[in-house]
Amino acid sequence: METSAEFAIRNSTAHCLGYWTASNLHEIEKRLCSLDWPGGAIRFDLSQLDALDTPGAWLLHQTINELKADGKEVLISGADEQVKQLLALVNDNSGAARDPPKPYLPGFLESVGRHTASQFQQYQEFLNFVGEVAVVIWRLLLRPWRIRGALVVKELETAGLNALPIIGLLAFLLGIVIAYQGGIVLRDYGASIYVADIVGLSMVRELAPLITAIIVAGRTGSAYTAQIGTMMVTEEIDALRSIGIAPMEMLVLPKLIALIIALPLLTVFADVMGLFGGMIMANTMLGLNSATFVDRLGEALSLQSYLTGIGKAPVFATIIAIVGCFQGFRVFGSAESVGRQTTISVVQSIFLVIIVDSAFSVAFSKLGI
Amino acid sequence: MQNVECVTDNPLEPPSGNYVLEAHDLVMCFGRRCVLNGISLNVRRGEVLAIVGGSGSGKSTLMRQLAMLQTPTAGSVTVFGTDVTNISEFGAIPLRRRLGVMFQDGALFGDLTVLENISMPLREHTHLSLHLIEQIAMIKIALVGLDPGDAALYPSQLSGGMRKRVAVARGIALDPEILFLDEPSSGLDPISADAMDELVLQLKQTLGLTVILVTHDMDSLWRIADRILLLADAKVAIQGTIHELVDSNNEVSRQFFHGRRGRASGALYG
Repeated sequence: METSAEFAIRNSTAHCLGYWTASNLHEIEKRLCSLDWPGGAIRFDLSQLDALDTPGAWLLHQTINELKADGKEVLISGADEQVKQLLALVNDNSGAARDPPKPYLPGFLESVGRHTASQFQQYQEFLNFVGEVAVVIWRLLLRPWRIRGALVVKELETAGLNALPIIGLLAFLLGIVIAYQGGIVLRDYGASIYVADIVGLSMVRELAPLITAIIVAGRTGSAYTAQIGTMMVTEEIDALRSIGIAPMEMLVLPKLIALIIALPLLTVFADVMGLFGGMIMANTMLGLNSATFVDRLGEALSLQSYLTGIGKAPVFATIIAIVGCFQGFRVFGSAESVGRQTTISVVQSIFLVIIVDSAFSVAFSKLGI
Repeated sequence: MQNVECVTDNPLEPPSGNYVLEAHDLVMCFGRRCVLNGISLNVRRGEVLAIVGGSGSGKSTLMRQLAMLQTPTAGSVTVFGTDVTNISEFGAIPLRRRLGVMFQDGALFGDLTVLENISMPLREHTHLSLHLIEQIAMIKIALVGLDPGDAALYPSQLSGGMRKRVAVARGIALDPEILFLDEPSSGLDPISADAMDELVLQLKQTLGLTVILVTHDMDSLWRIADRILLLADAKVAIQGTIHELVDSNNEVSRQFFHGRRGRASGALYG
C-alpha cells in the first residue's frame, strides 16, 4: 500500500497530514529547509496524522525548536496520546542527537609511524616465535618419543597425499608451456633436441620446487593459519594450555615435521609430471620421440641439478609452516581477524619463498653449482 | 495479557484478525531429526511473547522462522496477514522492514562503527539526508541507554552488554512493529540483564512494539513476558501467562518452573 506524508501551511497553521514515517519524509525534509514561515504565532495541527514514527517525530521536534529559536511562538494542537509520547521521547533523548562523534582518523605521518612500529613489532614477534619453535624442537630431539606420530601422519595425508592431484596437474601444464615456448625458438635453429635441456633444467632446478611451494603455501599454509586462528578465537588454544598441553608441541611441531617430509616428495612428483608434460609437447609439436627426449634428458640433468632442486624444498617447507602457524597465533578477537591473518600468511610465505629462492640462486652461482 | 484492542501506532495494513504474526503447524527437520513438529501460535499486536524451553528444544529455530530467516519444512507463517512461507527474497523486503531482529551475539558489522551500524537500515531504506539519519541514529543510541560517546566505537571495542544494546538499537532503527530478541539477557551481569528487561518494557510502551523473545532467564519471564510459549519435544508443551504456567499441572512446566531457579524467581515476583 502506497502511503505519503503531506505538509501544508494555511493562515499561520501548519497542517501535518498522512504518514509521517521514515520512508515518506525526504520530500518534507527538503521543503522544511527552504520554507518561508509566516510571521506571528504558528500552530501545528497534528489531528490529521495517520502515523508518526521516531524519524517523523524528530523532524517535527527539530522544526518546532528552530522556530522557537527564531523567537516565534509555537502551539501544538490535535496530538493524540501516541504522538505526544513520541514527541516526549525524542525530546528526552535530543541531547544525544546534537553532534554525532566521529571516529578518530590518524593523519598521514601518524599512519606511517604506526604502521612502521607495528611492522617492527611483528618482526620481533616472528623472531620470538622462530626461537620458541627451535627450543621445542631441541626438547623433542632429546625426547623423540614425545613427537606425536599420529598427528604427523594425519598432516602428511592432508598436506601431502591430498595435494598430489593439483600439484601434478599444474606441473604437467607448466612443463607443456615451457616446452612450447622453448620449442618455438629451438625449432628455427634446428636444435629441437635441446628442448629436453630447457624443460629438464628449468623444471628440476627451479620451477618444480617453486610451483610446489607456492601451491602448498596457498593450500596448506592458509589452512594452518585458519585452523590455529579459529582455535584462538574460540579459546581452544587457551583450553589446551589449561589442561597442560603445549600448543607448540600439539599444533606446530607435527605440521612442521609433516611439511618438511611432504614438500620434497611433492617436489619429486612435480619434477616427474613437469618432465612428462615437456615430453608430450616435444613429441606433438617438434616430433621428438619419447626415447630421444629421455636420452637427452639423461645427459642434460646431473644428479647435482636434481639435488639442488630437491634441497630447497625443506627450507620452503619450514618457511611455509612457521609463517602459517605464526600468523595463526596472531589472530586476535573476532572471526574477521582469521580471514585477515590468513591472507597475510599466504602473501608472506609466498613472498619469503621467492626471496629465499633467489638467495639460493645467487649462492649457487657464486659456488658454481 | 495485553488487550487486543490496543491502539496501533502504524496501521499501514491492518493484520488479519487481531494477529500480527501467525504460524500454523510448523515443521522443521534437519535430515531425520525434527526440531519443530507441528507448532501453531498467534501473536497479538503490542504483546511480549516469550519462547522458552530446554537447550536444543528449537526455540531459536522457531524464532528464525517467525522472523522470515528460514523456510520451514512444512506449515505456514503469516506476517501482517501475508503468507510468507514461499515468499521471494525480493517480495519479503517490505515486510522485513517492519521487523527488527536482535541476534544473540549482536551480529554487528565489524568494519562499521556503532553509529554506522545503526544508520545502515535508514541509509538503505529512506532518502533522508545523512545529517538527519545520524541524528535519528543518535536518538536510538540514547534510547537503548548507551553513551553518545560510544557512537564512534567499533564493535570489537564493546563489551557483551553494549553489543546487545547496539544490536537492539539497529533492530529498532526503522521503527519496526515487531522486534525479535534472541536471548537478550544471556551472558550479561545481573545489573545489565535488569537494564535490558527495563529497556524492552520501555520500548514496548513508547514505541508500541510487539516483542518476541527467546530466553532462559526466569527473571525476564516474570518481569516482561505477557505470554509464554513453552517448547518441549518439538511441540508446544503449554502456553499462557507466567501464573498460568506456574500453576499448571503440565509435567514440563512443573520441571521448568518448580526447579530451584524457577522457585527463586517465583518467590521474588510471584
